[in-house]
Amino acid sequence: MNYVRKLLLARELAAGLGILRRAAPRRDFPQLQGLICAQCFRAVPARSIQSSAIRARAELTSSAKSGKEEESRSGALMPFQELFEGDRKGDKDKASFTRAVEIFCQRDIRRRGHVEFIYAALKKMPEYGLERDLEVYNKILDVFPKEVFVPRNFIQKIFTHYPRQQECALHVLQQMEDNGVTPNYQTKFLLLQIFGEKSRAIRKYWRIMYWFPKLKHANPYPVPDPLPQDPIDLARFTLQRIAADLSAKVTVYQMALTDITDAGKEITQPHIVGIQSPDQQDLLAHHNPDRPVFVEGPFRLWLKKTCVYYYILRGDPLPPEEREDVIDPERNFYCPLSLDLDLDQGIWDDEEFDVDEVVEGPIFAICMAGAGDQNTLAKWILGLQHTNPVLSQVPVVFQLTPGPDELPLATDSENGEEEIPQSQHAKQEL
Amino acid sequence: MSGLSLLLRAARAAFPAGTRQLRTASPSLAYAKELFLGKMPREEVFPYPEISKDELEEINQFVGPVEKFFNEEVDSKKIDQEAKIPPETLKGLKSLGLFGMQIPEEYGGLGLSNTMYARLGEITSLDGSIAVTLAAHQAIGLKGILIAGTEEQKAKYLPRLASGEHIAAFCLTEPGSGSDAASIQTRATMSEDGKSFLLNGSKVWISNGGLADIFTVFAKTQVVDKDGAKKDKITAFIVERAFGGVTNGKPEDKLGIRGSNTCEVHFENTKVPVENVIGEVGGGFKVAMNILNSGRFSMGSGAAGMIKKLIGSEYGFKKKQFNKKLCDFGLIQEKFTLMAQKAYVMESMAYLTAGMMDRPGEPDCSVEAAMVKIFSSEGAWTCVSEALQVLGGLGYMKDYPYERYLRDSRILMIFEGTNEILRMYVALTGMQYAGKILTEKIKDIKKGGVGTALQMLASKLRDSVGRKVDLGLVGEGGVTHCSLEESAKKLEENIYYFGITVEGLLRRFGKTIVDEQLILKRVADTVINLYGMTATISRASRSISIGLHNHDHEVLLTNIFCTEAYFKNNYTMTQLEKYADENLDDSIKKVAQQVLEKRAYLCSHPLDRTF
Repeated sequence: MNYVRKLLLARELAAGLGILRRAAPRRDFPQLQGLICAQCFRAVPARSIQSSAIRARAELTSSAKSGKEEESRSGALMPFQELFEGDRKGDKDKASFTRAVEIFCQRDIRRRGHVEFIYAALKKMPEYGLERDLEVYNKILDVFPKEVFVPRNFIQKIFTHYPRQQECALHVLQQMEDNGVTPNYQTKFLLLQIFGEKSRAIRKYWRIMYWFPKLKHANPYPVPDPLPQDPIDLARFTLQRIAADLSAKVTVYQMALTDITDAGKEITQPHIVGIQSPDQQDLLAHHNPDRPVFVEGPFRLWLKKTCVYYYILRGDPLPPEEREDVIDPERNFYCPLSLDLDLDQGIWDDEEFDVDEVVEGPIFAICMAGAGDQNTLAKWILGLQHTNPVLSQVPVVFQLTPGPDELPLATDSENGEEEIPQSQHAKQEL
Repeated sequence: MSGLSLLLRAARAAFPAGTRQLRTASPSLAYAKELFLGKMPREEVFPYPEISKDELEEINQFVGPVEKFFNEEVDSKKIDQEAKIPPETLKGLKSLGLFGMQIPEEYGGLGLSNTMYARLGEITSLDGSIAVTLAAHQAIGLKGILIAGTEEQKAKYLPRLASGEHIAAFCLTEPGSGSDAASIQTRATMSEDGKSFLLNGSKVWISNGGLADIFTVFAKTQVVDKDGAKKDKITAFIVERAFGGVTNGKPEDKLGIRGSNTCEVHFENTKVPVENVIGEVGGGFKVAMNILNSGRFSMGSGAAGMIKKLIGSEYGFKKKQFNKKLCDFGLIQEKFTLMAQKAYVMESMAYLTAGMMDRPGEPDCSVEAAMVKIFSSEGAWTCVSEALQVLGGLGYMKDYPYERYLRDSRILMIFEGTNEILRMYVALTGMQYAGKILTEKIKDIKKGGVGTALQMLASKLRDSVGRKVDLGLVGEGGVTHCSLEESAKKLEENIYYFGITVEGLLRRFGKTIVDEQLILKRVADTVINLYGMTATISRASRSISIGLHNHDHEVLLTNIFCTEAYFKNNYTMTQLEKYADENLDDSIKKVAQQVLEKRAYLCSHPLDRTF
């Protein structure tokens, strides 16, 4: 008799909840909670039976050997994997994933085996490329039956109530955390509905919500996500990031182009994008034309999982005798620029750190190109000559190391194609 | 030349020239430098400089007609609207001799002393555009010829400049930077026969650029220095428009002083004879500096003149609100006090400086002049703004002159050296002087000068015990009137501790103080206040002693200013004693650095959120 009553009540509860949830799609929580509680009052005896049944099952599994437990879990995974495997022919996308979740939810009103299903779903998420989709995580959390795991007395509150289910929810939250997905109010609402206040799951949620927003803008130099796909846009972003000078100007010296000549020969023209700031132009203008400038590279720069390469145009540091440190005393019409005194700064006001700086030569310009051969880079120098006439008189020496293709690179397989193609013969003699 | 001018000149000739001749003695810094040592050279500023009765009568004879002319014939509103001074107004100014106020009489000028020039400046500055036109002409435009020109140059150019037949302009600024000599790109190349220079280049923001016939132009020339190396140095030239190749752009559209003519001036292969070099070839930098330094002091009297007029013409006297006269409200009264006080301080500073400049030996008053310029330009801006505020919305309307005064007075803080750079000049010049004395002392001690060491030690000890500062202003043999005793004591205390503060700063920073602009600004602010206190105390003392009209009012103003300044100085000096992390300098620099790095306001919007 008990069994029948329980079934009846459970059905009523599920139906009532469904109605309630439809009635309050905005998740007006406190109000809803009150309503649910009123219902639960009747459900208490049934729930006690259900919980004891589940506990009995838990005891059963835990009484088995620990190795067996793992086995049983993986064994239990099997049917749910089929839910996902069933879509093997179709596209692995969000729609099919949610469909699988929905199918599971509709299959059984009591959501039997939902823990196993959730573990399986979590495992499948990266395959579907959904590991950063908040909506999907909420969908998964929604699989938990509502209200039944909320502790009802202080003893239940002291001990972890329904540890297996809570553990599972923690896994969901952990995967969200690992992928940098910030939960939202719906997540909170679901967790409150499923496990109640002060449960381990909701505590995990609060911890995430404490740290994630705090750390969201911790990086002062954020990299856009996703990175621009167009190599020129990517180069523009990269160069601006390296140059770190807002007045620096990015110039596209050559667009990438593939053309077929009349003779049927294919000509590929790599893109060349360079950056130069007014200060650098000034430095280059004052460069002694007798001293050579050097084109060096490629240098690596990692942007998240993408590696890009850049080249620099640099000069040697000036020999000490040519450095001009003296300010002309007849420089400022209004006030002196230096004092004629023997006194120096005292140590207490000297707030600079004592840093031994390696003397480096000036860097005149930076560029990124579709190919790292000398011909391509010579085109860059040619383009630079328009804005820096002095370059036409200065000898330019190319000091190129072997191209990136020969560098042992551990690029991510997914993003491997983003690597900027480089020509193999980087070093050439003129 | 009109009859009026002749009359003025005749009147001028009737009186002895007094002490107003050009002297060649090497100038020495006057009063302000001693403040940096914590000393008070009383004899420099007490008693307040006077002019003789004859001179006073003479200047009053000038003042009458000029005042009449400005009141009756100058329509400032029209000048502002049409952005042009009408030719008949210019003609009137010329006939009054106002284009040659400081040119000696033998060249046909009025030959006014600095004090008299300041007095006339009070009236000419009633119209901003006219004041700037006149200042550009004679305070800087022809000053080069006056202070560094040869006899031939003076005889050739000054008479026609004095009569206003020719107008002068000062061509220094070039695109880039106004105060950086390195930004000067205009070149003068010597011709092969060595008889002339070819001038090429462009100057920007030249006052009177479109009207002028005579330009003082600064250009780079190649000079061979002692060790035979060729170097570019600045040379000053007198350039006539008639030399050819001189063109000017269209007048700039400005915020204020709209009636004055400001434009670009271009020189293209202008042939300038060698005789027209002012000073020597390659010596233009000194010439420019001297011209700029000498032209500033009159701004004090000018600004004071303007504020005095504003107080007199204030509409707020009549207005009523809530059955109460506007003037019965405390907050409105405060504004009038502020205006009166600022005008009084400016006037006192300006005439004290002018009086010092008129002394025999031509002392170098450039620091004092800079202080007058800073104080009066900022005071003018505040006062005009407050006068406008009294009227509320009405003041904002073009029907009233306040908005024009506000626009006109804004330039004062910018031209003839921005207030920022002049503050650096004031502070650094004083620091240099004090630093020299301090290093000598230290050297002396290192050499074994036990006397000096003991002296320093003794004064340190006395300071730590707490000493009574007595610089001889009050008490036995004092020079101030006893009703100003409190103010004078405050001044003495401030000066003494300012000396200690400066010494402390020099010990802390040495020559690197050049880069500590936030500190230098505080030093300059303090010394400007000290100079203002000195000037007002000195002037009020004199007024009481000789029984001038309303001298009790002067005592009130002096005491108000001195007390306020005393507390401000104490605050500033306390800040100066602290290290950068305590007096906010660090934080200020950090904010600026971050803002400038990103070139934007950095804070997130108050409505932004992270989840």
